[in-house]
Amino acid sequence: MKLNIIVCIKSTVLHASGVNIIRAPELSELNPFDLPVLETALLLKKKLGGSVTALSMGPQEAGASALCEALAMGVDKAVLLCDKALAGSDTLATSTALGAVIAKLDQFDLVLFGTRTCDSDTGHVGPQTATLLDLPFISNVNSIEQIDTGLRIERMLDEYMETYEISPPAALTIHPNSVQPRDISLMGIQEAFEKDKVKTMSLADIGLSPEQVGETGSGTKVLSMKQVSRKRICDFIEGTVEQQSDELLECLKKKGIIG
Amino acid sequence: MDNKITEKKRVLRRRVRDFCEREIVPIAKEIDQEASFPWEVVDKMGKLGYFGIQAPPELGGAGMDTLSYTIVIEEISRACGALGLCTSVHNSVALFPILAFGSDEQKKRWAPSLARGEKIGAFCLTEPNAGSDASGIESTAIRDGDHYVVNANKALVTNGGVADTCLIFTRTDPEAGRRGISVIVVERDTTGFKTGDLENLMGMRANPVASIRLTDCRVPKENLLSKEGMGLKIGLAALDVGRIGIAAQAVGIAQAALEASVHYANQRHQFGVPIANHQAIQFMIADMATEIEASRLLVLQAAKLRDRNKPFSQESAMAKLFATETSSRVTDKAVQIHGGYGYSKSYPVERYYRDARITRIYEGTAEIHRMVIAKGVLQQY
Repeated sequence: MKLNIIVCIKSTVLHASGVNIIRAPELSELNPFDLPVLETALLLKKKLGGSVTALSMGPQEAGASALCEALAMGVDKAVLLCDKALAGSDTLATSTALGAVIAKLDQFDLVLFGTRTCDSDTGHVGPQTATLLDLPFISNVNSIEQIDTGLRIERMLDEYMETYEISPPAALTIHPNSVQPRDISLMGIQEAFEKDKVKTMSLADIGLSPEQVGETGSGTKVLSMKQVSRKRICDFIEGTVEQQSDELLECLKKKGIIG
Repeated sequence: MDNKITEKKRVLRRRVRDFCEREIVPIAKEIDQEASFPWEVVDKMGKLGYFGIQAPPELGGAGMDTLSYTIVIEEISRACGALGLCTSVHNSVALFPILAFGSDEQKKRWAPSLARGEKIGAFCLTEPNAGSDASGIESTAIRDGDHYVVNANKALVTNGGVADTCLIFTRTDPEAGRRGISVIVVERDTTGFKTGDLENLMGMRANPVASIRLTDCRVPKENLLSKEGMGLKIGLAALDVGRIGIAAQAVGIAQAALEASVHYANQRHQFGVPIANHQAIQFMIADMATEIEASRLLVLQAAKLRDRNKPFSQESAMAKLFATETSSRVTDKAVQIHGGYGYSKSYPVERYYRDARITRIYEGTAEIHRMVIAKGVLQQY
């Protein structure tokens, strides 16, 4: 079974000084949580055949740059949804828009997302888009394997692994530690940026009205955002090396950092 | 279009930096101390195109421009000067002459394995009695039927201990002075090819700098690059390109020293405050950052001129001179900011200091560059 996979990626903001975020390319980068997702899709394609399409929503330059990185990694197609009316979209409006693009794209078997983004960090877009598209959804996926009846999916929980069987189409979020993403080669970067392979779509192309997205299509609105500085406390551990390491281990366990 | 180019450079820098921070930074101290060549990382770099940055894709390269080349070299050098040196020399003075002066046949024969990093290249000009004055070359390549018989004693060859494909500057006509010098490509497996002991260097210790001795090496006449007597022209053209790479390398080392100094200055407390609060430290940081930025812009200018097929010798000489002297000044200040710890191997700035020093010497000393620049300027007005 060949799999046609859509990977939703985001150009995330590196710095924010207030509620009005500037999505300039020099202040943006491809969401690091999306890299293992792209890697998962590319490995599935290598194993089973099919195609990988990267999809993003955002401003022209930053969005296209993130998609070029996906192309440099090896995806086949890149689609950017770009429209001024999308500005101010919350996760619901974003999911509405992405769902409308996905419905317009060629037939797909899997829609993959990162578990979250490094800027807004909500984790909403994957499950919301799956709901709007009426797709079965599994989060924090660690591995995907083909079986006679469809796909066997393993899902990571803190100390447990759940196993599912699904028949595509389905939507999944990929656990960030599931796979080490490949390094992007210079050849990949050169080709991705030289050949204009990013297809840009507007709201009109996907049959949505401006009211369905942006601030009017959003269920939530950010009222304020301010930086919170955390006080850092430095504790000195005394004793022999063995005592120090025991105490450090105990301390890390208590804080839930190690199990 | 300009925005797209800018974005490409930004992505390139970010991705090369990611790779270098993950793969090279953690081993940089160890390979420096042990003077070992990190084959495993070099192999990965080869697969990612770092050894064929400007070689065309049909010959196994990435097909990038000079500006991209400087970004890659700067970022590798920020992590490890010795690997920056390895890649800069390989790309510019070993692979570039083959691409620029080689026949189609020669390009197909040597370029793909070099561009993919499967083979390492070396530029063998320096001899015990020839360095800045390349016309002092004493090596000979005497034609014997369809072969040249090469005898050479090459000193201080960058990559010398591991290079497979060596560009040997040698006299094909011992009577013809400067015009008797030619370039013959000699491969490591040639009978009579011998590498000397690795130099025990002050810096750049992970680069296997060594002497190469060729004794009655019989190489096919097809290994002559371009024509007999073209040696100095090839050498100077290669060094023009190489200087941009060395300048980028110097910028990378200086950048690493600046970043280490900023981190240290913010963390080290004296007189109840971080030393970054002291004006003496701030002035050093300001000078370091300003000079690095000026150097980077000189590198950018030389690279852009080359990419536009405009003359760039003068600009590449200026970039090399300024960036390498900047690198020495900046790494010196970095040691000063770190105080006694800066003199210790517990911190990386002592390595940056040692690595920066040689950039003022190889691929044309600062003094030679001043001569080149002055000659141009004196004719200009």
